[in-house]
Amino acid sequence: MPDPVAAGGGTRRQRDAAAALAADHLWGFLTALRGVGVPAAPTKRADLLRAIAESPPPDLTTLYWYARITLLQDVGDLPAFDRVFDAWFRQGGPAGEDPPPEGDDGEAPSPGGPGEDDPPREVRPGDGIDASTLSTYGTREFGRTGEGRHALMRTLEAAWPAVLPATPSRRRRPARSGDRLDVRHAWRRAHRHDGEIIELRRLARPPRPRRLLILVDVSGSLRLHTPDLLRVAHTALRAAPARTEVFTFGTRLTRITAALSHPHADQALRAVSGLVTDADGGTAIGAALARFLGNPRFAALARGALVIVLSDGLERGDCTPMVRATARLSRLGHRLVWWSPLACSPTYRPATRAMAAQLPSLDHLGGVRDLPTALAEVRRLPAVLSGPRHTAARRWSTLRPLGA
Amino acid sequence: MTLWREGELAAALEGAGYFADEGLCTAIHLALRLGRPLLLEGEPGVGKTEVAAVLSRVTGLDLIRLQCFEGLDSGQALYEWDYPKQLLQVRMAESRGQDVGDLYREEFLLRRPLLRAVQAEHGAVLLIDEIDRADSEFEAFLLEFLGDFQITIPELGTVRAGTPPIVVLTSNRTRELHDALKRRCLYHWIAFPEPDRERAILRAAVPGLEERAAEGLVRAVQRVRRLPLLKRPGIAESVEWARGALALADGGSPWPVALRRALGLLIKDEEDTRLLLAHAEEVFDDA
Repeated sequence: MPDPVAAGGGTRRQRDAAAALAADHLWGFLTALRGVGVPAAPTKRADLLRAIAESPPPDLTTLYWYARITLLQDVGDLPAFDRVFDAWFRQGGPAGEDPPPEGDDGEAPSPGGPGEDDPPREVRPGDGIDASTLSTYGTREFGRTGEGRHALMRTLEAAWPAVLPATPSRRRRPARSGDRLDVRHAWRRAHRHDGEIIELRRLARPPRPRRLLILVDVSGSLRLHTPDLLRVAHTALRAAPARTEVFTFGTRLTRITAALSHPHADQALRAVSGLVTDADGGTAIGAALARFLGNPRFAALARGALVIVLSDGLERGDCTPMVRATARLSRLGHRLVWWSPLACSPTYRPATRAMAAQLPSLDHLGGVRDLPTALAEVRRLPAVLSGPRHTAARRWSTLRPLGA
Repeated sequence: MTLWREGELAAALEGAGYFADEGLCTAIHLALRLGRPLLLEGEPGVGKTEVAAVLSRVTGLDLIRLQCFEGLDSGQALYEWDYPKQLLQVRMAESRGQDVGDLYREEFLLRRPLLRAVQAEHGAVLLIDEIDRADSEFEAFLLEFLGDFQITIPELGTVRAGTPPIVVLTSNRTRELHDALKRRCLYHWIAFPEPDRERAILRAAVPGLEERAAEGLVRAVQRVRRLPLLKRPGIAESVEWARGALALADGGSPWPVALRRALGLLIKDEEDTRLLLAHAEEVFDDA
């Protein structure tokens, strides 16, 4: 395989030796790439070799582009790719880098690699899910569920599907009545009757549930309620597994959809407790929500979705980022519902600066601190969904202020 | 279809009004050379879709476009049998007392974009736009096509491309694409252009713009992109901004005032506008 970077003039034997050396070097580079978790399938590697063979790159920059365009699959892998390329081609060798020889897994992408399934993966560098500066307290066990709770959770799970909002699907399906004739279906049935059409079939756009996005606050002020709030999220995920996304936030943002999807609640909570490292820590709601919205792939999950935030809304310091993030979340989603444990108390008024400022963005502010209150609020959702938007402020302002 | 050497390719693209940087030129060159689909990602407004249009112009091939959306299915992307026509054929044969004959012939086939691209005699440029908007299941329909440029129709057999089409896919990264799809494509991330390239684009797209004005405008746009905006302006926006400001300047506004008054063409979000006005001094000081 000719490599013009290494193959200069000289005798034929020298050239052959240089080519062999170049091939070895290229092979080492590909192995090192795999070592840092940038998967390059055999077809992609073959593309690179074909590109080099068919139009030899005149300089290093071209070689760089050849390698990047044929091997790279995701811009997120670019920094790692650049590092390896620099180490192998711009500094003359694997300086400081120790390319660990991969086992025998050939083309199989590394576990957790891209494209294992459709939604973006849980945690990856560059996603902004890294630790923030605030303190964290490590993981926490969420306790056992118990029989009484199990019964309630089953009721909740059964209650969710009926209250989730739906839109007409873009894809038409055969139905009894509908706005279009299903000529294809009618035609297939006519085959059985010598081409005679005996019954007409129709196509309709069946309702497709909107996405449900649940953001659970796991900071210290909610310490008592966190396990139950996570159980509520678990029932929603069980009720609509394909359309529900769950995140937790405290000082950082964690996507827990996969961990929480275990059918058994206790197992799911155990998996979550291993993942969520900021439970019972400090509060930075504004920063966490901003980080959520700053990632376009996460923000896309909120688009047109029913967004439920489970949080007390007690923000420390400046509340402007939180208010701005809530407003954007409200604009992105179909409805924005805020469930706060504090609102369970009949004397509660959304009077803290942050809560008062963001109230106009909310469609509903309800009280949820455990499973029974969650069930009551879930049953109240249809009214919220069918009514006009941004009514939370109006509803709460009609309540008599405390002490009046 | 001619195969350019790399240098000529850049010149040909420029001749058609597209200023590609070295990476994109190499990507297009390799896509043509290796006959692979080219997957383009990048921020909105950096000219991903335009790549296909300009390729169609410089190669002289037809541009076939498939806009993806949620719910797109194979009947809209690959092919569909023309059932009403088949029914009429049956009725006609019946009334004339003839044999119906084969109802699954090419003449009863409705060709959707992918099949059209495969059957194009001299090849075609196929643009599969915003693939991330289609559901992830749809990607499975594409695999056979992207891998071998062929489509299997159960009633007819496999249709192979005589001349493989040039395929460009674009994605805005609202969701992650399947590995199987990416493996079949060359991948290129289009970044925002560096100042020189953006000036060249403005020069070509906005005739009558003075060199100094263009320089200041590009500097301002580069600074705007560094602000934490909800939506960073792409090339299309900066071109529109330059056009708008030029029109206002022709109407008598001094240039800096015209720039500010035309801001609605650059920034299209109220929150972003407020943020930009708060930083107006540093953004516009020498524009």
